[in-house]
Formats: sequence, C-alpha cells, structure tokens
Amino acid sequence: MIYYFGTIFVLVLIAPILLSYIKATKMLLLFKRPISLLQGYRNFSKLLQKETIISEESSAVTRWAPFLVLSPLLVILFFLPPVTQGAYYVSFVDAFTITGLISLSTFFLMLLGLDSASAFGGMGSSRESFIAALVEPAMVLTIFSVSLMAGNLGIGQAGVNLAEHFPKEHMASFLFAGISFFILLIAENGRIPVDNPETHLELTMVHEAMILDLTGVYLAIIESAASIKFVIFASLFASLFIPFGYGLIAPLAIGVFILKLFLIATLVAILEVNTAKLRLFKIPNLLGLSIVFAFLSLITFYVLGA
Amino acid sequence: MMLTLLLLPAFIMFGVSFIKKQKAKYLLAFTSFVILLPIVKLFLLPKPYNILGSYLVADKLDTYVLLVSSIVGIGVTLALLTLDKHVKISQKAYRKFYRFFAIFWIGLIFSILSNHMGIYWIGLELATLSTVYMIKTNYTPAAHKEAWNYMIVGAIAISLVLFGIILMYASAKPILGEDAMNFDLLLAHAKDIPSPFLFEMGFALTTIGMFVKMGFFPMNLWLANIERASFYPVAALFSGILESAVLVGFFRFSKIAMAVNYDHLFIFVFVYTLLTIFIVSFLIYRAKDFMRLFSLSGVEHMALIVMFWVSGAPFAALLHFGAHAFLKPALFLSTGVLESNGKYKIAGALRGYKGFKGGVFWFLVSLFLLAIISLPPSPMFFSELYGFGAMIATAKESDHMLAMIAAILFLLILLSIIFYRFVAIYQSMKYEGEIKEKTVYGSELFSLVIFAISLISLLLPQTLAYLHAIS
Amino acid sequence: MIDFLIGLFLASLIVALFTTRLYRLLLWYSLNSFTLGLLALGIGRSIDDNAMIITGIITIVIKAIAIPYVLKNLSQKFHFVRQITPEIKVQYAIMLVPAILVFTFYLSEPIVHMIHTNANYVAVSISSLFLSLLLMMEHKNVAPKIIGFLSMENALFLLGITATDGMPMLVELGIFFDLLMAIVVINLLFHKEELRV
Repeated sequence: MIYYFGTIFVLVLIAPILLSYIKATKMLLLFKRPISLLQGYRNFSKLLQKETIISEESSAVTRWAPFLVLSPLLVILFFLPPVTQGAYYVSFVDAFTITGLISLSTFFLMLLGLDSASAFGGMGSSRESFIAALVEPAMVLTIFSVSLMAGNLGIGQAGVNLAEHFPKEHMASFLFAGISFFILLIAENGRIPVDNPETHLELTMVHEAMILDLTGVYLAIIESAASIKFVIFASLFASLFIPFGYGLIAPLAIGVFILKLFLIATLVAILEVNTAKLRLFKIPNLLGLSIVFAFLSLITFYVLGA
Repeated sequence: MMLTLLLLPAFIMFGVSFIKKQKAKYLLAFTSFVILLPIVKLFLLPKPYNILGSYLVADKLDTYVLLVSSIVGIGVTLALLTLDKHVKISQKAYRKFYRFFAIFWIGLIFSILSNHMGIYWIGLELATLSTVYMIKTNYTPAAHKEAWNYMIVGAIAISLVLFGIILMYASAKPILGEDAMNFDLLLAHAKDIPSPFLFEMGFALTTIGMFVKMGFFPMNLWLANIERASFYPVAALFSGILESAVLVGFFRFSKIAMAVNYDHLFIFVFVYTLLTIFIVSFLIYRAKDFMRLFSLSGVEHMALIVMFWVSGAPFAALLHFGAHAFLKPALFLSTGVLESNGKYKIAGALRGYKGFKGGVFWFLVSLFLLAIISLPPSPMFFSELYGFGAMIATAKESDHMLAMIAAILFLLILLSIIFYRFVAIYQSMKYEGEIKEKTVYGSELFSLVIFAISLISLLLPQTLAYLHAIS
Repeated sequence: MIDFLIGLFLASLIVALFTTRLYRLLLWYSLNSFTLGLLALGIGRSIDDNAMIITGIITIVIKAIAIPYVLKNLSQKFHFVRQITPEIKVQYAIMLVPAILVFTFYLSEPIVHMIHTNANYVAVSISSLFLSLLLMMEHKNVAPKIIGFLSMENALFLLGITATDGMPMLVELGIFFDLLMAIVVINLLFHKEELRV
C-alpha cells in the first residue's frame, strides 16, 4: 500500500521536474546556460499568486474544464503498472480504458480552446483533434499488442508479467511496439517534431493555442496536467518497454524507475534538438509510421510469433 | 584446358579492345572461330564431361546451347566490324562495346556450362551488368534512360532469381548439404526434397525473375524499348546469347520442378505463357518499327519454347529454341541495313539492292522473315507442329482434354494474328515505298550466311536425332 | 537478441520507405546493413561458422560503411536531387505496407513449419524483398532506386544467412563481387551523364 501511493506521489512530484529537465538538457546541448530543474515549481507558484481573469466571451465551460482536463489524468496515475515488487496495482484496467481517459482529458482541453472564443483557440482545438484522431488507433494497437505479449489485457498485470518473464522470443514485435509507442509519446505530449511547446508562433502552435487565454490558477492546472501526461506516457514506456529493475528491493527499484524516466526524457531532448518541427500536414506521415509499426507488431506476434 | 579454349576468343576480344588501332578489330573476326574447336571436341567427348570439377559440367543440353550461342557470338563479331558504317559511334565507345561484349560473353559461357546454381547466377549477373554499359555506348538521351531502366529492371529480375535459388538451396540442404547447389544432384534427389513447398516457392520466384528478363507478361515492352534505344548488335546478343543462358537455366530448374510437382509447374507456366502470347500478339500487330517488331516476336517465340518445354515436348522446345536463336540475331543484325532509310520506315526496306551482295541479302532476309512465322520449310514449322501434338498427347492422359484443345485453338488464333501482320509487313517492305540504294557489306552478309547454314543444318537428321536424345 | 536485430532490420527498412531526404535514406540503409552484419556475426558465432563471420565483417565494412560513403560522394559530385518525395502518397503507403507484410507473412507461413531453425527470418526476408521493391517503385529519382536495389540485396543476404545457415563461400564471394561491379557500373553511368550535360 505504501509503495502504491508512494509511487503515485513520487510521479506527481517528479512531473514538473521532468519537463524542466528536458528543457535544461536542450539548453545544455545548444550551449546555453540551463534553467534550474525546479523551474516547473517556480512557474506553478508564480501562477498561483497571479490574478485569474476570464474572458467575457467565454461561458461556464472555461471555469470547470481545466479540472476535467486534469482529473482523468490523475485517475490514470492510479492505474499504472507497479514499479516495485509488493506494490498494489489495478489489474483489470486495459488499453481501452487508458486511451479513453486520455482522450477524455484531450476532449475537455479542446472544449476549453473552443470556449475561449478567440481565433487561436479554435485553430488549436482543430489541430489537436486532428492529431488525437491519428494517435488513438496506434495507441490502442500498441498497448494491445504489448498486452498480448505479456499475456494479460490489464495494463498493470501486463507490466508485472513483462518484468517477471521478459518475452525474449517476441523481441521483434516488442521492438516494433516500442518504436510505435515512442512516436506516440512525442505526438501526444506535443514535443518537437509534432508541436513546439516553447513558441507562440501562430503557424506552429497546437497546445499553446488552446490555452492562450487562460491565466492564473487555471493555467497552473493545465500546465500541471501537461506535465502529468508526460509522466504517464514516460512511465508507461518505462514499465512496458524497459521492464528491468522490477525485482530489486523497493527503494532501489523506485530509484531505477526514476532513472528510466530521466533516460526517456533525455532521449526526447536529444530528438528535439536534432529534428526540425514538421509541417502540420506532414504529421500524418509520422503518425502513419507509428500505425504501421503498431500493426506490424501485432501481425508479427500473431503470424510469426516473433 | 577446355575452359581456356572456350574463353579464349572472349579474352582476345577483351585484350584487343585496349588497342587503339582501327585495324585490330579485323583480327577478332578470325579468332572468334576458335571457340568452335573446343565445342566440336565437346560433342565428341562422352557426356556428362566435367570441365571444372562439379562446377562446370557439359552434358548434351549444355553442348547444344553452347554451340548455338557461340555461332551467334561469331555472327555478331562479324557484323560488329561494320557497325560504324551504319550508325554514328565514337571510336572510344566502339572499343568499350567490344570490351563489355567480351565480359558479357565470358559470363554467359560460365552460365551456360554451370552445373551449380550459384555460378549460374554469378555469370548471369555479370552479363546483365556488362549489358548496361553496352547499351550506354549509344550516346543518346534515350539510350541513357534505357540503360538505367535496364540496370533497375535487370537488377530486380536477377535478384528474384537469386532469391529463388536461395530458397531452393534451403529446401534441399538438409539432405544434400553444400552440394544442394548442384543441378544434377538436385535432379537426382528431387523426390526426396523434405520441403517441396519451399522448393516450389523458390522455383516460382526464380521463374518470375527469368520471365521478367525475357520480357514476358507483364513486362512486355521494356526489352523492346531497350533494344530500340541501343545499337542493333545489342539486340542480337540479347536474343541469341543472353536469352539462351536464361532459357538453359529455366530448362534445368523446371526439370527439377517437374520431378517435384508437375501439375503446379504446368499450370503456373502455361497460364503465364498464354497470357504473354495474348498480349504480345496484339503488341506485334501495333508495332511500327523493325526493332520492336522483332523483339516482340522474340518474346512470343520464347513463350512458345517455354510452353513446349513444360508441356512435355522438350524436342520441340529445343528445335524451336535453335531456330529462334539463329533467326532473331540474323534479323536484328540485318536491321542495320534495313533501317538505312530511317528508323520508322518499313515500306521499301527490301527494295533497292543492287549487285550480287544485295541480291543475296534481300533473299536471305526474306527467307528469315518468312521463317519466323513458321512457313513450312522452316524448323519453326516442325517444332510448332510437334509441340502442339505433344501438348495434345499430354492432355490425353489427364482429364483436361477440352481445356487444352481450347487453349491450343486460342493460341492458333493469336499466332495467326502475328502471321497476318508479318505477311503484311513483308509485302510492304517488298512492294511499297520508294526505291533507295542501300549498301551491304561483306562481313555482315557472311554472318547472315552462317546463320542460314546453321538454320538449315538444324533440319539435318543427325541434328534431330541429337535433339531427340537430349530429352 | 537475434530477434531484436531482425526487428531492427525490418524497422529500418520501413522507416526508409517513409523517408523524404536522401541522406536520411542512406543512414537508414547503412543501419539496415549494419544490423545485417551483426546478424551474420551472431549467427556465425552461434553455429561456429568462420565463413559466416568473415561475411559478416565484410558486410559491415562494405555495405554499412563503404557503399553509403561512396553514394554520398557520388551524390555530391553529380548533384543529386536530395529531396526525394515518394510517388505513393503516405495515406496509401500506410495501407500498402501492412498489406504487403500480412501477405508475405502468410505466404511464408508454410515455410515456417518446414524450417526449424530461424524460421521467422524467411518471412522477414521475403517481406523485406517486397518492401525494397516498393521502395524502388515509389521513387522517380535514380538514387533511391539504387538504395532499393541495394536493400533488396540485403534481403537476399538475410535469407542466405538465415534460411540456409550460410551459403557456400564461393557463392557469397561471387555476390559481393557482383555488388561491387554494380557499384562500378552505377558510377560509370553517372559519369556519362556528366559528359553529356
């Protein structure tokens, strides 16, 4: 019990640090002076102190939507695979539930963008829905095929099975699923080839366009939702595709898990530095690749058993 | 020793191609005949005769095909002497043509004689790559494009062949080990191959690769376009030597496949060739120039050869093969003269020949033209007669008699389309168009005479008996 | 581990199918050949076949390093078009690639039951043969077509080392020789182009 809640607590705590870490790594790679890892917390507290202003055109949706963006993600945190032996986990939640909860959160985010009644909000929402529609099939396929390899549809149980009996004979389909999921991780979290979280340039922004009108507490909530989303994806990736270190003693296992999260963040940062942002209409190419790999992973598993 | 003698003309050609003197090429006309010596010796030796361990083995089929292709090689060497009189070619390109012709010839001698799937493939690939450059010796944009085209399509075809070979090798490796590459051992153990499906799949891939190389359905026009864009000897080499090597490979592979599962092989190849002839007959009907006409007719003949071979008439197939291999290069070589008025002028091509040389030339060309549509004295007539007869005989044993008769009727209709077209072309060549004087050179006439003599000698009783003995 | 490499082999080929830049394509080809070489080394070590270890080393040196390097040089010398957009649109490619994979996997399913060692590799190599054909088909430029041809060679090689536990050394050397000859001919073809223009 203590590990279960402890992990969730650690994940929530580490979420802003991870995003700041990516930013810091990028700055380091670009020979800039990196920002502090605690920048996420500083932003959060700053936003809390600020006055919250709501546009006159917006309706009640703007008041409750930020909470509904955050809450499905918080729920998912409880369903994640366990990090260490002896931790509790929810075994009956499968790929569809996770995907559904994530899209629920995305749905309210889009609603929020539309509600702001500015041109940017609508544009951002339409782009977000465009990306989300392409992400979902690949996401379901990928997690599904991993669950098949693990022999259980429940995500939590799958993570445990993978860690205990790593499917060496299914390495190929495992690799394909991993590639697919990594692309999804980048696309869903609005990292560089898909979306640039650092600019407010009209042509490129997706996520920022939707929350352009928000201030104060609401913005703080949405920002933390974004960081929690990244942590969810990163920890799914860590426990499904890098299933090592589960058997260690509890504190060590959690430490290894956090290391894996930082490893993923480093990968994302390196990728962001090395690639240019894609044009919006080139994004289907990238996500198409992810769908192909997800499908490939499924059929490789089914037909070849490799 | 035997191998050295066989390769000697090609090596001499390779060496001479570096000499800058113009006269040097006349030497080749004489040295190329040297290749006949070892071949005659091969005919006399008991078969199978091991030339190089178990890698190169001469059996009856090999020797026959080698003879045919060598005669073509000699003929082409003779006709090459006057290439610069008919087309524009720089001296450097001329020498390069000789150089790559030599490599091509070496590769194909290895291919034809090989008893080893790997060596067969290596020879074929060597020939393919050297052809690319032979096409390039014509400095036109069209030839450049077609050289790339050949590079790509040829590479695909050859890779498919290798792919199939690997699969076949894998299928027989459990029982034969490393010797599973040898044709004769594979044939002897065809019944014991542990995984026939694997073998058949390899065979299908190899066959498709070979068919692409021969210009079968659906790749009907690429060969014709390439032969159009390059100099005419390239086309002669293709139809005479390269296709011989490919067909030898097909004969060998299909013999093994016949032992593995005859029905699968028969249906697959029969339908494929029928489709090819269907498409090609209409393409011939629309052909507007000699090169494409002859090239497409070559595709038709190769389809017929393959069809006869798989329907249990190897004698007909080999006879047809010999006739095709002599007739096509002869016609391709004569296009150099026939097209002196322009590339797309068929009318009047057979008019305006003066003197003894001219008279012999037009007589021979009309003979060849009428022979490829299998008018009676031509060997093709006999082979088709015998081939269709054998197809009926094969069908009698199964319960698909009606289907076979329908297929043969269909084939005859298609062949009559081609027949009609060729007769019309012949009439237009002889009786239409203006009379313009054309010059014929002694060396190319000599090569045509060689082809004519070889063609007639195909009908000698000894030759027929030899061909019967192969099957 | 070998399963992992085989997955990487197929993955690099699929990524190459969706690439729109020439140098990226060369990189993926190089990665493809590198995994192939590693596979040859791994299998050669596991069945204790020195010939295969040698071919693995040759593969890495020639195919993963030399050929991409030569092609890059050629592309700079003859000013290739470096932006290579596939002729087949991505939305169709997304449907086509899985269709090809399913087709080839089922095509080779009976084989999988016949060969007992490394059965899956036959399926993967057949599908990568088809995918390299697709790579050749979907581009109009010459350079990606050459890469397609070379990756076809890789597919053949994969089949050679996995399905048959290594072909006779003679044949493998012959294949390498022909590959080098192909590169020479390609070089010559480009040279001529420059003389003409």
